[in-house]
Amino acid sequence: MRIFLTLTALVAAIALWWWIFPPHPGWSEDELVSIQNIWLESLPALPDDPTNSVADDADAQILGHRLFFDLRMSATGTTSCATCHQPQRGFSDGLALSVAIGQTKRNAPGIAGLAWSPWLYWDGRKDSLWAQALSPLEDAVEHGGSRLMFAHLIHTDEPYRALYEKVFGPLPALDDRSRFPIAGGPLASDEGRAAWDAMDPDDQREINRLFSNLGKAIAAYERLLVHGSSRFDRYVAELMETGDSEQLAGSELRGLRLFINEANCTQCHNGPLLTNNAFHNTGLLSLPGKLPDIGRSAGLRKVRDDEFNCLGPYSDNPTVCDELVYAGSGKENVGAMKAPSLRNLADTQPYGHAGQFATLGEVLDHYNEAPDAMIGHNEAKPLDLWPWQVVDLEAFLLTLQAPLATDPSWLEPPDQ
Amino acid sequence: MRERRFLHTIPWMQQLFIAFFYLLYLASILTPGYASAHGGVVLEDDLCVINVGFYQAHFTIFQPINTQHEQFCEDLPGTGESVFVLEYLHDGLEQLPVDFRIIRNVTGMGLFAGVNDVEALGDLDVVTEFYHPPVTEPDAFAVLHEFAEPGAFIGIVTAVHPDTDTLYTAVFPFEVGAFGLNYPLIAVGVVLGLLAVLAVSSRWRSGGATVATLCAGLLLPMTADAAEIEDVVSADGYYRVTAISRIHPLAINQMHAWELQVFDRSGQPVINANISVSGGMPAHDHGLPTDPRITRELGEGRYLLEGVKFHMRGAWELYVLIDATGRPDTATLSLEL
Ligand code: HEC
Ligand code: HEC
Ligand SMILES: [Cu+2]
Repeated sequence: MRIFLTLTALVAAIALWWWIFPPHPGWSEDELVSIQNIWLESLPALPDDPTNSVADDADAQILGHRLFFDLRMSATGTTSCATCHQPQRGFSDGLALSVAIGQTKRNAPGIAGLAWSPWLYWDGRKDSLWAQALSPLEDAVEHGGSRLMFAHLIHTDEPYRALYEKVFGPLPALDDRSRFPIAGGPLASDEGRAAWDAMDPDDQREINRLFSNLGKAIAAYERLLVHGSSRFDRYVAELMETGDSEQLAGSELRGLRLFINEANCTQCHNGPLLTNNAFHNTGLLSLPGKLPDIGRSAGLRKVRDDEFNCLGPYSDNPTVCDELVYAGSGKENVGAMKAPSLRNLADTQPYGHAGQFATLGEVLDHYNEAPDAMIGHNEAKPLDLWPWQVVDLEAFLLTLQAPLATDPSWLEPPDQ
Repeated sequence: MRERRFLHTIPWMQQLFIAFFYLLYLASILTPGYASAHGGVVLEDDLCVINVGFYQAHFTIFQPINTQHEQFCEDLPGTGESVFVLEYLHDGLEQLPVDFRIIRNVTGMGLFAGVNDVEALGDLDVVTEFYHPPVTEPDAFAVLHEFAEPGAFIGIVTAVHPDTDTLYTAVFPFEVGAFGLNYPLIAVGVVLGLLAVLAVSSRWRSGGATVATLCAGLLLPMTADAAEIEDVVSADGYYRVTAISRIHPLAINQMHAWELQVFDRSGQPVINANISVSGGMPAHDHGLPTDPRITRELGEGRYLLEGVKFHMRGAWELYVLIDATGRPDTATLSLEL
């Protein structure tokens, strides 16, 4: 009798152990397809950006690098892109909401690998890196500048002027302050707005052209920020080569299995950057004191109206705009945000479009529950995972960590 | 395919857990509760719908700080920050300026106050707790108000038709925080409790169904080349459609085009047809990530469909609505990625 009980207990214990920590049974054909799909080696070559004729120009990269780190590119002399996109923090800032001249409404994402994304910002209100780069420069809570102010900075700073003219040709006659006031732009407040409105439309277009060129130089720099091979990628490489690999441990493998199967993560986080760059409502809670974010449905209206979009007069090739032309306008856009890349998550805490989650554990608990969205409908379905499965998922996500495959000199401020 | 879903072999334990939590949920809901339906807001499925004149909108209230994602139709369990979300159903209301007012319920009519009772109050400003001036929003209108004290309130949503000056109003009385025993509410609670029981049982069933589909999925052979879908007959049989993707093999996250070949019943090419295409993933309950369009007729009943993208693997459908010579009919193309 005793022996029988002991045996039963032993069998039960082993069964429980196997249930919680199932041994890795190898991958099915279908799973291998999903695994290869998120492997960095499957990433297509850096896509061209025909709307930016200097996208891969070496001097434009140098100019963009300088502009990205230059504190003079702000009304207060205290803000650069790198204030909120810090290289040592995966090009984000560690804050729920960013702070420069004021506080932003959303969380600053990391910016590596965005050359592959047809949409920029959480709500996709910009359709190219160069058009995106213009917006913080004139945003009152970010750089707080105006396009005329930036034009004069380039014009009066000798190294900038030389570099700019080398890449884009001669600057407008900015010495003429009656034609080109010292500051102002269409988005500026009263005075700057009035100065802009008083300008000749041709001069306005010249300034817009110059301003968009600054965006194109910054974009050329940002295109250099590309992801490197992580432990997960080495695992897949070995798996493909030899049919086996020790790169991932038990929990990480179980996490990977969940990620591509019952946790449904690859519905949205697919492809080698673990994002389909599409918009989904995943039902995040609004921040205290804030209204729920309408997301993509407003973003789509904004990008269609943007004078710097793919179809606009400052695009270097307005005939290649399928993404904008065929952008989805369905009701799913309400409350939808762009699915972010899941590479280098350890660098980019907190998570969510308004930094709602301090830790990955909180993000995963949210997916496990998939609660009702405050606005629109939560596309994710409850997962009902056990707590240890959530731990496995997190362990897998952290295997996607890797230094950028970018020459380190680009990751520091340039020495001028 | 080898053994891949170890967990699914023992789903009953998970379901036992789920059932347990549903019981807890049921218990919580049977206590004098929140969700109810009176005034201009009615419970429809699990959504609250507000009637503004003959327009309708989804209407929900959240108290994110206290009860996170829990939705309320009207009565709120506690004081504090409350977010009112009005989502338009695109029946025209989204084109009108809409304002939102909350007044203290001094009508003496309690939860039975109606438009007339509110009108009888005369000047609303003196009893107004919150007011948001008219806005025209294309999709949704949300406001935030912090209730300092419990009490009885009336929400008033007004839309004014700019051409006719017609006023459409929805009035819904509601209570905030600390309400005592309320028999009608308990009755609603009981009904909801029963619904919850039903939900549990349907959950059990759907659990079984998932396992069944899974097994079926394991047995079914992978569909042949999804980049070509041959000879699909439309719902009413007027047309036959063959669709050929311009990329082989099909891939996710890639903008691409298809060629549609449209024939009539007798196999003759259909020319000059009006064709529109929508689609989505029925299992995931979402549409296409893009709005594809026919951009060119290629002759002999062939049409170029541009702007197609699939953003995840799985079962997709494309609905091709064809209208030639006044006979609209839809062909459903299924593909597996
Ligand atoms: C005050 C902080 C701040 C500054 C300064 C700032 N950003 Fe950002 N950045 C953000 C925030 C916040 C977001 C997300 C905003 C949103 O989606 O609405 C963002 C988004 C982005 C994105 C889009 C990321 C994605 O995944 O789509 C890019 C690219 C970017 N910033 C580049 C720049 C560049 C280039 C500059 C300098 C010209 C800059 N940022 C300056 C805070 C900042
Ligand atoms: C329906 C599409 C969808 C599915 C399924 C999905 N995600 Fe997401 N994910 C998103 C979107 C969209 C966001 C951004 C949400 C927001 O901030 O509003 C996001 C955000 C995240 C973030 C935060 C990243 C950051 O930088 O802020 C993590 C981590 C994450 N998802 C992991 C997962 C995991 C793990 C799974 C599977 C359990 C999963 N996701 C399933 C769409 C999805
Ligand atoms: Cu789907």
